[in-house]
Amino acid sequence: MSNRSMWSLKLSTAAIALIPAAIGINYLGKLVAGLLKLPLWLDSIGTVLSAMLAGPIIGALSGIINNIIYGVTADPISTVYAITSGVIGLIVGVMAYKGWLKNFKTVIVVGLVVGLAAAVISTPLNLIFWGGQTGNVWGDAFYAFLVSNDVPVWLASFGDSVIVDVPDKLATVIVSYLIFKGLPNNFISIFQGQDKIEEL
Amino acid sequence: MSTMTLYADRDSVIHNHVSPLTKVLYVVVSIAITYIYPDLLFVLLVTIFSGMILTLGKVFRRILPILAISIILIISIVIVQGFFNPENQTELFSIGFLTFYKEGISYAALLTLRVFNMIMAFGVLILTTKHDELVEAFIRKGLSPKIGYVLLSVLQLIPQMRATMGKIADAQASRGMETKGNLSVRMKAFFPLIGPVVLNSLNSTRERAIALEVRGFNTGIKKTFLNAAKEYHHQGFIQLILWLVLLGTIVWRILI
Amino acid sequence: MSIIQVEGLKYKYPNTDKLALNDVSFEVKEGEFIGLVGRNKAGKSTLCFALAGLVPHFFSGGYGGKVIVNGLEVRHHEVGEISTHVGLVFENPFSQMTGSKTNVFEEIAFGLENIGLERKQIIERVNTSLELLDITALKDKNPFDLSGGQMQRVAIASVIAMRPKILILDEPTSQLDPQGSEEVFRVVENLSKEGMTIIMAEHKIDKVAHYADRILLMDDAKMIDFDVPEKVFSRDDLQEHGIEPPVVTRIAKALGIRKQGSDDYPVTIKGFTQEIGDKL
Ligand SMILES: Nc1ncnc2c1ncn2[C@@H]1O[C@H](COP(=O)(O)OP(=O)(O)OP(=O)(O)O)[C@@H](O)[C@H]1O
Ligand SMILES: [Mg+2]
Repeated sequence: MSNRSMWSLKLSTAAIALIPAAIGINYLGKLVAGLLKLPLWLDSIGTVLSAMLAGPIIGALSGIINNIIYGVTADPISTVYAITSGVIGLIVGVMAYKGWLKNFKTVIVVGLVVGLAAAVISTPLNLIFWGGQTGNVWGDAFYAFLVSNDVPVWLASFGDSVIVDVPDKLATVIVSYLIFKGLPNNFISIFQGQDKIEEL
Repeated sequence: MSTMTLYADRDSVIHNHVSPLTKVLYVVVSIAITYIYPDLLFVLLVTIFSGMILTLGKVFRRILPILAISIILIISIVIVQGFFNPENQTELFSIGFLTFYKEGISYAALLTLRVFNMIMAFGVLILTTKHDELVEAFIRKGLSPKIGYVLLSVLQLIPQMRATMGKIADAQASRGMETKGNLSVRMKAFFPLIGPVVLNSLNSTRERAIALEVRGFNTGIKKTFLNAAKEYHHQGFIQLILWLVLLGTIVWRILI
Repeated sequence: MSIIQVEGLKYKYPNTDKLALNDVSFEVKEGEFIGLVGRNKAGKSTLCFALAGLVPHFFSGGYGGKVIVNGLEVRHHEVGEISTHVGLVFENPFSQMTGSKTNVFEEIAFGLENIGLERKQIIERVNTSLELLDITALKDKNPFDLSGGQMQRVAIASVIAMRPKILILDEPTSQLDPQGSEEVFRVVENLSKEGMTIIMAEHKIDKVAHYADRILLMDDAKMIDFDVPEKVFSRDDLQEHGIEPPVVTRIAKALGIRKQGSDDYPVTIKGFTQEIGDKL
C-alpha cells in the first residue's frame, strides 16, 4: 500500500479518469440488476470500487458526480441523494485504507456500516423532500405500517431507509470486493497516486 | 455514438438569451423557495411559473416523460400521507376499511407540487442548455477543469459501456447463460455479465489517463478555450431578481 | 547534438522485482526514424513511456540513469511540459480519445486548451494537424463514430498539434485492419519526411525495415543492438531474440545475395532489386 495520506488532494490523472469509469459501472450495475430482475439496485458498485482503488476523495467524488449526472440526464430527483452517494464512497475509502478489506467478515462489516450510514444520511433528506418516504414500494409499505402504529415519522422514515439501503449496500460492497480482489496487482498501484520514486 | 443528454435544440428566448449560470440559479432558487414557504397556493404558483418558462423554451412536452419517472414516488406519497399522516383528522372519504383524510391529502398535494416543481425547474436547465456550454461556464467560474472533464466524459462513456454490455449479454446468452429462472440462477448471471465490462473499462481507464497526460491534462497552466464564451445580456439583472426572490421568501417566512 | 540521449537507463515497475529497462543507452539524431523491435515483454512500451516521461512520473517505481529529450531531462520535468517536446501514440485508438469532446476538431484542440494557447493559435494549429493527417473531412464527426484507422490518425493529430519534435508510436497499427494500418503508416512516413524524429515500436518487421533509418533491438529489458536495418536484420542470433527477419532478407539469405562490399543482406525490396541489378 502507498504510504501517502488518503486525504491528499493532489489527485493523479489515473484517479481522475477512474471517476467516469466508476459512474459507468454504477449505471451498468443498475442496468443488469434490472435486467435480471434482482430485488436490489446494485447501482453503486463503481463508487465503492473506485473508493477501494483510489481512496475516499475519489470515492466521494464518484458518488456525488454520479447523482448529479443521473439527475441531469434522467431523473432530477436523484440529485437529492448526491450527499448519500458521496458519503458511501467516503466511508468505503476510509475503511479500505484502515485495513477493513482484510477478509470476508470485515467486508461484511463494511457493507453494514455503509448501509446504515446511507440510511442515516437519506432519512433527513427523505423527510425534508418527500415527507419521509423513499419511493420504494416495500420500504414505503413498512413506513406506512410503522406510522399507523404510532411510531414517530422520523423513526418510521429511518426504518423505511434501513430496509431499502442495508441489504442493497451490503450486496454492493460484497460484489465490489469480489471484483477488487480479482484485479491484477500492477493495476492497483496506478490509482493510488504518486509514490516516491526509488533511485536505482 | 450518442451522448447522454436531454438537451432539446430549439430556437427560443430561454435557449438564446438566458445564460447557463442564470438557469442554474433559477433551479436553486425555485426549488428552495417551495421548501422555505410551505404554502400550497404559493408552491402551485411557482410550479406554474416553471411550466411557463418551459413553454417559453418550447420544451414543455419534453418534461412529461421525466415527470413520469417519479410517478411511483408520487402515488406512494398520496396514499401513505392520505391514509397515515399522523395529523390526519378530517375524514375525506374511505375505501373499504381505509380512510383518506384532508390533512394528509393536502400535505401530499404540497409534496407532489414540490416534486413537480423540482423536476420542471431542472428541466429549464437541462432541456435548454448544451452540456458542454454548461460545463465550460462552470470552469470559467472556477470549477476545476478536471472535474469538468469528468462530467463531460461520463456523458459519452455511458452509452459506450451500454453498447459493450449489450454485446456481452448477447455473447453470454448464445453460450447458454441463464438469465431467467429463480433468484439464485439470476444472481449467478450477474458476474459474467458485468465482470468483463468492468475489467475492460478499468483497463481503458489507465490507457486514457496516459493519453490525457501526454496532452497536457496535468500541467499547472491555466486552461484556455477553443469555443469563445457566448455573450448574454442582462444576466446580472435577472440573477439579482432571483436573489431578491429568495431573500424575500425567507423574510416573508420569518415574518408570517 | 542528439535530440534524444539515453544514458544507463534503468527502470522497475512498482511492486515488481525485475528490471523492465536494464542499463539502456543510445542516442538519436534529429530527423531519424528509429524502429523499435523485440519480442513480447521485451520492454519496448516501457522504453516508449520513459522517453515521454510517463516513466517514472506516471508509473512511479524505481528509476536510474538519464533520459534527455530535446534538451530536457525527463526526470526533472512534468509529463505535461514534456508533451510539447515528445508526442506519444499507442495501440488502442479508442482509449486515446479523451471522451469529453464530441467532434474531431475539439478533440484535437483538447491538449492545446490544456497548455493555455490563445483561441486563434488553437484553431490554426488544429487546422494544420488536420491537413497533415489528411482528416480535414472528418473534423465535425464524433471521434467515436470513426473507424480504427481514422481514430488513430486523430490520436496522432492530437499529439502533433502540441508541436513536439519527437513522435513516439507504440505499435500504432496492432489493433487496426490492413486498410487502417496502411493509412497510419502513410501519415507516419509523411511526418518523417517533414523532418520529425520518429521512434516506432512495431511487430510488422517488413514495415519497420522499409521505414527505419536505424533499428533498436531489445530483449529482456536490455538493448541488444542499435544499428542500420541491414546490420540488425542480418544478425545470426536474430531469431533467438524472438524476431523473424523481413521476408526479403530471408529470401536474400537463401539465395546468398548480400549487399555489395558487406556481409549484410538487403532488407527491402528496393535494396534487393538493387543488389540483383548490380549482379546482372
Ligand atoms: N504496469 C506494469 N506494472 C508492472 N509490470 C509491468 C507493467 N507494464 C509492463 N510490465 C512488465 O514490464 C516488462 C516489459 O513490458 P513492456 O510492456 O514494456 O513490453 P513490450 O516490449 O512493450 O511488449 P509487447 O510487445 O507485448 O507490447 C514485462 O515483463 C511486463 O510484464
Ligand atoms: Mg508494448
